[in-house]
This record gives sequence, structure tokens and C-alpha cells, in this order.
Amino acid sequence: MIEFQNLVKIYNSGGKEVHALNNVNLKVNKGEIYGVVGYSGAGKSSLIRCVNYLERPTSGKVIVDGHDLSKLSEKAIRDVKKNIGMVFQHFNLLNSKTVFANVAMPLVLAKTPKDKVIKRVTELLEFVGLADKADVYPDQLSGGQKQRIGIARALATQPSILLCDEATSALDPQTTSSILELLKKINEEYKITILMITHEMSVIRQVCDRVAVMEDGKVIEEGSVFDVFSAPKTKTAQNFVSTVMHDQLPESILNMIKENGTKNVIRIHFIGQSTGKPLLSQLAKKFDIDTNVLFGNITELQGIPYGNIIVELQGPDTEVQRALQYMTTNEISYKEVNTYVS
Amino acid sequence: MLVNSDQIIEALIETIEMVGLSLLFSAILGLPLGILLYATRKGQILENLPLFNVLNVIINIFRSVPFIILLVAIIPITRLIVGSSIGTAAAIVPLVFYAGPYIARLVESSLLEVDHGVLEAAEAMGATPFQTIFRFVLPEALSSLVLNFTIATIGLVGASAMAGTVGGGGIGDLAITYGYQRFDTVTMLITVVILIILVQGLQSLGNLLSKKIRRR
Ligand SMILES: Nc1ncnc2c1ncn2[C@@H]1O[C@H](COP(=O)(O)OP(=O)(O)OP(=O)(O)O)[C@@H](O)[C@H]1O
Ligand SMILES: [Mg+2]
Repeated sequence: MIEFQNLVKIYNSGGKEVHALNNVNLKVNKGEIYGVVGYSGAGKSSLIRCVNYLERPTSGKVIVDGHDLSKLSEKAIRDVKKNIGMVFQHFNLLNSKTVFANVAMPLVLAKTPKDKVIKRVTELLEFVGLADKADVYPDQLSGGQKQRIGIARALATQPSILLCDEATSALDPQTTSSILELLKKINEEYKITILMITHEMSVIRQVCDRVAVMEDGKVIEEGSVFDVFSAPKTKTAQNFVSTVMHDQLPESILNMIKENGTKNVIRIHFIGQSTGKPLLSQLAKKFDIDTNVLFGNITELQGIPYGNIIVELQGPDTEVQRALQYMTTNEISYKEVNTYVS
Repeated sequence: MLVNSDQIIEALIETIEMVGLSLLFSAILGLPLGILLYATRKGQILENLPLFNVLNVIINIFRSVPFIILLVAIIPITRLIVGSSIGTAAAIVPLVFYAGPYIARLVESSLLEVDHGVLEAAEAMGATPFQTIFRFVLPEALSSLVLNFTIATIGLVGASAMAGTVGGGGIGDLAITYGYQRFDTVTMLITVVILIILVQGLQSLGNLLSKKIRRR
């Protein structure tokens, strides 16, 4: 478990103060995959680097598995670090050492007996699918392979926490997916808590349980991936969500609505069970209206079907009002599009 | 030609002796100093600005005195250490004072080339400063260190020729006493050719070794 309490980080660069973290409060539960997303400079790296004290907080607390890091000695902090693995954007492997020696490094630092090192490293290389690369050097590997080695190394001392700072940002989409699958497997098989930061919402969507959105050193929105993706509250979160959800009206249709003065355009959300119901045809049968689908998509979020369609309700105003009333009483969430799309 | 081949071979052996021994002692002095310079720098693992500044200034002082002046300026110290100011052993003392600080600088610059990400990885693993230097920084810098030591060795070959003139013997001494003072052009030419071959050989060896370490 990781807990940030009133965390503040101020850098002093060239006599100028940079407020990278402004009072962050966040709790990452044991065993979950927690994602932090935000634009460049939002303070994501600063936040994750406070967990293993690569950066010392200016004030506030970082509590890792019950230890308040600020109360620990240098030696004790080094021991806590052995319980926290870290995966880097640019892998940070030693080019002078073989893959085997790279993965073995944390064990060697911890003065593990040689036979145990061999056993553990072999096991890890097998786990990440690179057992045949033990004796090659990192510069002979692809980016994705390097990151697998980086992950194997981070897991060497059997940590309970794994930190990933943009672990997939240097990789192509396909490789990114395979690395994310690996992280998910690690989380499930070893019950490791994973804190990952990224600027890609698709990464969050693919593996995270919960997500925080950061801006200007603050957490501006936080919640389950499902909640944040299906109903983002802040403008920034909406922007991030729209990069993967594609739930906004295309420009051409928007223009058409404006030109024709089309009225009664609504967005309907389908969540879980309701996705399977024939709502539109019911509306058309029960009321004296026609439904015209302008746009729609149905996807899955954390295993739950989630859809949203934009329809125009054509017909007399009174009938349209009755139809809307019907949806409200049946707890089907909808929004007027004109107010939704800015 | 005023010298015979035995004299040339003897001179060559003296040069190799001077360069080899002074390289050894300079490395013993320069390597730890270079590591210390690197580690105590601002933002580094053992940041200690007072110590860094003192080391920095001392090394600069030695580095700013031309070797020919250093050679005579430290004669009292040479006497103190080897009991004499003439001979091969006596020549080694100024050579070490010359090459030690030089090697310290070269080591420092080699270590500074090491990718910051590697240091970050070490820190994240909870490596001690000692482990960081010996398990991460030095292995990563090895290939560059070999190249820099090659440069220092070649510098020592040049300096040893000067040191030879104060009684250390060697190729340089031969060139001055016969080639220059007695106008023996052939000896002069031979010594120059020997020095060229020596330096070329050292550089090729250094390049080969460094390349081998880097690529494997
Ligand atoms: N060592 C440092 N010294 C001075 N300022 C820093 C330092 N590290 C980060 N900053 C500043 O702190 C702010 C937050 O940086 P941080 O690296 O945490 O952002 P980020 O969200 O990770 O951005 P990115 O997506 O670009 O990696 C930025 O304004 C950055 O310039
Ligand atoms: Mg960052």
C-alpha cells in the first residue's frame, strides 16, 4: 500500500522555485493497478519518484506499507527500496553486463548466495519469456525485450510494489500491449501493487483498476477506471477520455445539426445490462416519434459493456417530452447534446 | 652513428620501465582521486563541495605547471622519496606528479559520461554509494577508461623523454645526448622512429581493448 499525505515537492532550479507537487493526497491499495495520467509537466514523475525516495518530498508524507519514509534512516530507506521495484521509460539497463547479470544485480547487491541468484534469475527470465537471451548484451535486444529485462530486474527481490514511470512510452503500440499484458500477469500472479504513470489514456484503460488525473501538481480527479472513463468531470479528464473513447460527435455531423437547426439531439449512455435492451425501438413504438441515430459506439471498460449513442428524436414536442420522461423514470441516463458538446 | 644497437635496446627498456612504473603509481594515485572528484561533485552520490573544491584546485595546480618545470621544481621531494635526484627511480617521481592528477581528470571525465539512468536504477535498487561506483559506474565506464588510460600512457611516453634528460635514461635521453648535442642525425632519426612505433602500438592496443570491452 502506498499513501501520499499532503505531499509537496518544490524544485529549486537556477534560483527559481518550481512547484511540481502541490499538496497531493492519494491512496493506492494493496494489490491494485493504479494509474496516474496527466500532461507533460503535471508532476507525475515527481510523484512516483517520491515513493522510492529518488526525490525527497519538500513536505508531506509518503507511507509505504505502513512505513513513513521521512522517519527512516538512510539504511532503512535502502531496505524499503528492496521491496519496491522500478521500471523506467528508457530501461536503464547496464550495457556492460549481460542480460543475466542485469537481472541478477538487485540480488547481488543484497548479497544473495550464488545458487539462489542463478535459480531466481532463470525463473524470472522464463517468466518474461526471454530465457534464451541470458547471455546476450542489452544492446542486442529490441525495445520491448529490453523492457522485459527491466521488468525482470525490478521483480528480482520479490518486491510488493512495482513502479512504472512511462514504462511503455518508448515502445510501439503492439509492443506496448504485450508489456501491459505482462504487467497484468505480474499483478495477478504475484499480487504486486503496481503504480504506473503515463500520458496515454489507452494504457490506463487496458490495465488499471483506478486512475488519478493530475494537473499542475495536483490530483484533479480520481476514481475507478470505469467511473472516470464513463463520466469524466473535469475538462482535462474529458480531454484524456476522448482520446480513447471516441465518443464525441464528428465535426461534419455537428455542423449538420447546427445548419439544419436539428432539435432534440440527445446522448444516451448504456452501461452493463442496459446495453442489451432495445431502447430505441421501444421509444418509437410507445410514443409518436422517430429515432434517428447520428453517432454511436459500444465498447468495454473493465469488462463491463459501455455504450453511448447520439440520437435525434423526431416528432411533436409533447411526444418527445414524454419519451424523455419515460427514460428518466426507467433510469436511463441521457444528456442534451447541445450542452454537452461545446 | 655514434650509438650501437645495444645502447638503443637498453634505452628502450629504460623508457618502458619508466613509463610502466610511473603509469602504475599514477594510476594508484589518479584512479581513486578521479573517483572522488566524480562522486563529490554537485548532485552526485557523495556530494561534498568543500572536498571537491579542494581536490579540484590541487589538481588544477599540478596540471598547470609544465612538465619541464615540475621536473626541477620538485627535486627536493624527489630526493626525499628516493634519496637521489638522478636515475630512473628519480625520474619516476616527477612523472607520477605529472600523470597522477592528469589521470584523475581523465577518470573523472570517463565516469561523468555514464548515463544518468544507470545511476537512477542503482538508486532505485537501494545500492550503497560504494556499490553504485563499483557495480554500476566503473563497469559502465570501463571502455572509456581504457581509452583515457591509453592517452595518459602516451603522455607519459612523451614526458619520460624529458625526464630522461635529468638522468633517467631512456630513448629521450639518447636523442638529446647523441642526436642533438653531438649532431648524430641517424640516432635522432632512429629514436624518433622508435617513439612513433611505440605510440602507434600503444594507441592501437588501447583502441582494440576498448572496442573489445564495448562490443563483446
Ligand atoms: N530535477 C528537477 N529540477 C527542477 N525542476 C524539475 C525537476 N524535475 C522536474 N522538474 C519540474 O517539475 C515539474 C513537474 O515535472 P515532472 O517530471 O514531475 O512532470 P511529468 O508529469 O512527469 O512530465 P512528463 O510527462 O514530461 O514526464 C515540471 O515543471 C518540471 O520542469
Ligand atoms: Mg515524467
